Amino acid sequence: MHQLARLVVRNLTVSLNPGFLVWQVIFPVIYIFVAGFAYTALIDDVQLAGMSVDYPAFLATGMIGFTIMNSTMISGIIIWNDRRNGMFEQILSGPFNRTHYILGNVVTIGIVGLVSGGLILLVGLPVFFESASFDILTFPLLVFCAVTGSLLFGSIASIISTRLKSSEGFNVLLNTVFLFFAFVSTAFYPAEGAPEPLATIFYLNPLTYLVDIIRAGIFGIITDTTLLEMAAILVAALALFGVATRLLTKLDF
Amino acid sequence: MPLSITAKSLSKSYGSIAAVDGIDLSVKQGHIFGFLGPNGAGKSTTIKMLTTLIAPSSGSLHVLGIDAQADPMGIRRRIGVVLQQPSYEPSLSVERSLDVYGMMWDVPKKVRQKRVPELLAEFGLQDLKRRNMDDLSIGQQRRVQVAREFMHDMDLLFLDEPTVGLDPHARRDLLEYLKAKARAGLTILYTTHVLSEAEYICDEIAIINRGKIVALSTPAELKKKFGKQKTMVIHLSYPETRLPRLLLDVAGCRVDLNSGTDVTISSGDPEETLLQILDILHTHDISLEELSVESTSLEDIFLKVVGEPDAPAC
Repeated sequence: MHQLARLVVRNLTVSLNPGFLVWQVIFPVIYIFVAGFAYTALIDDVQLAGMSVDYPAFLATGMIGFTIMNSTMISGIIIWNDRRNGMFEQILSGPFNRTHYILGNVVTIGIVGLVSGGLILLVGLPVFFESASFDILTFPLLVFCAVTGSLLFGSIASIISTRLKSSEGFNVLLNTVFLFFAFVSTAFYPAEGAPEPLATIFYLNPLTYLVDIIRAGIFGIITDTTLLEMAAILVAALALFGVATRLLTKLDF
Repeated sequence: MPLSITAKSLSKSYGSIAAVDGIDLSVKQGHIFGFLGPNGAGKSTTIKMLTTLIAPSSGSLHVLGIDAQADPMGIRRRIGVVLQQPSYEPSLSVERSLDVYGMMWDVPKKVRQKRVPELLAEFGLQDLKRRNMDDLSIGQQRRVQVAREFMHDMDLLFLDEPTVGLDPHARRDLLEYLKAKARAGLTILYTTHVLSEAEYICDEIAIINRGKIVALSTPAELKKKFGKQKTMVIHLSYPETRLPRLLLDVAGCRVDLNSGTDVTISSGDPEETLLQILDILHTHDISLEELSVESTSLEDIFLKVVGEPDAPAC
């Protein structure tokens, strides 16, 4: 087995625990099937590029992006734990280099992102099936979102894990940043109708772009804006990955 | 005998500070090489260079015949490293931890299935095999950390204070295990602060201080070389506060007042020193209850070569 594959197997083995799986699946399911239907009393239909979508379908598609983002937290957690528990140095004193380590994390979060996103897609399918308009671009767009989203948010989690020294600081900052991404985005509610400057701030958040692209793919509403959002999120993901790689490369023993 | 490590003028600097300052090392294959030194002397930095974790600032380094600068991965594939700090997977059980580590080293599953129970037995870990690494004591984690390294084959093993936290029984078992491995051809570079361990296990010993090798030989040769230095322990009948001042006149020795009645004296010329001290005691009517002369230990040599600025000299 190649070094990279061995590191990915190791990452998945040490990070996939029952608590994480509950967090990854149960939490979004509760949002979709409890909050989604409960909030229909307050939010009726949501307008998406001239198309009307009911709130549970809107929320279920948002949860795919939310889950992809959440899954990338394990990238930061793996790096943090490896540094704290001496495994970072131990791995690099074995048959691995830093490139293997970084790529191992990227592939790990890519897999977790794809699987988690796919699971939520399947779980949420009955909710948005009626409004969905699958075409040849749907699947490639979802894969694009899973991979790019994993790279982007995984890089952010990695950057946080390389910069902080205290356990409390790491947990507080990681959760605060991801909480901001989750709730100041269009994952839970549409930007249209939100008061300013909140509606504008939504579009400073990469999760907004991610869920917009996912919805465009699922509901068949791909526009020029979708392409722009894809370009923006790809550039941001590559830039952040560059920063994360540089910080990891310079990380001292 | 082929050499497992050859370092020439090896240096590592951080800014203007030379952590390792032009050291030469030759470690023979199948030997256990002790690498000793006080805290901050440059041991860990040297080991990080030898294990290719950090690059030297200057000098040449060949490990297992491979140029460390040209092919660090080639070296890392053939070495094992037990780092000074704990390293473990907190979420895995002891048994799973060994297996996953073997997998990371590309050890085939069938070999892992055979080695895991062998190592659990060898390191007395059977009762702990289902326990999570996070739930173990420091000594137990250390045992797993050392055992884990034997999941994969290697030609050279670096052990940085492997017995920290081990009870005397586990410590002795580990030393015996390492000796057997060395007899089978494994080269071991061993650092420790427990000098009796180094004396017991090592074929050769280097002492590093302030980034430089200050002594390098076999334990027997080191004793021979520094053996003239003897330690005498005087037990007085009653506390004598005048003694430090009185012994200032005795040349070439070092005096440590252990308590009001016990005095330890180290000297390169014990006979002459002893005569002078007895004369001083007699002249000042100080009563001597017991006198013993101890043979030189590695600890004495270590303290001599790295120096002890706090000890009063006379």
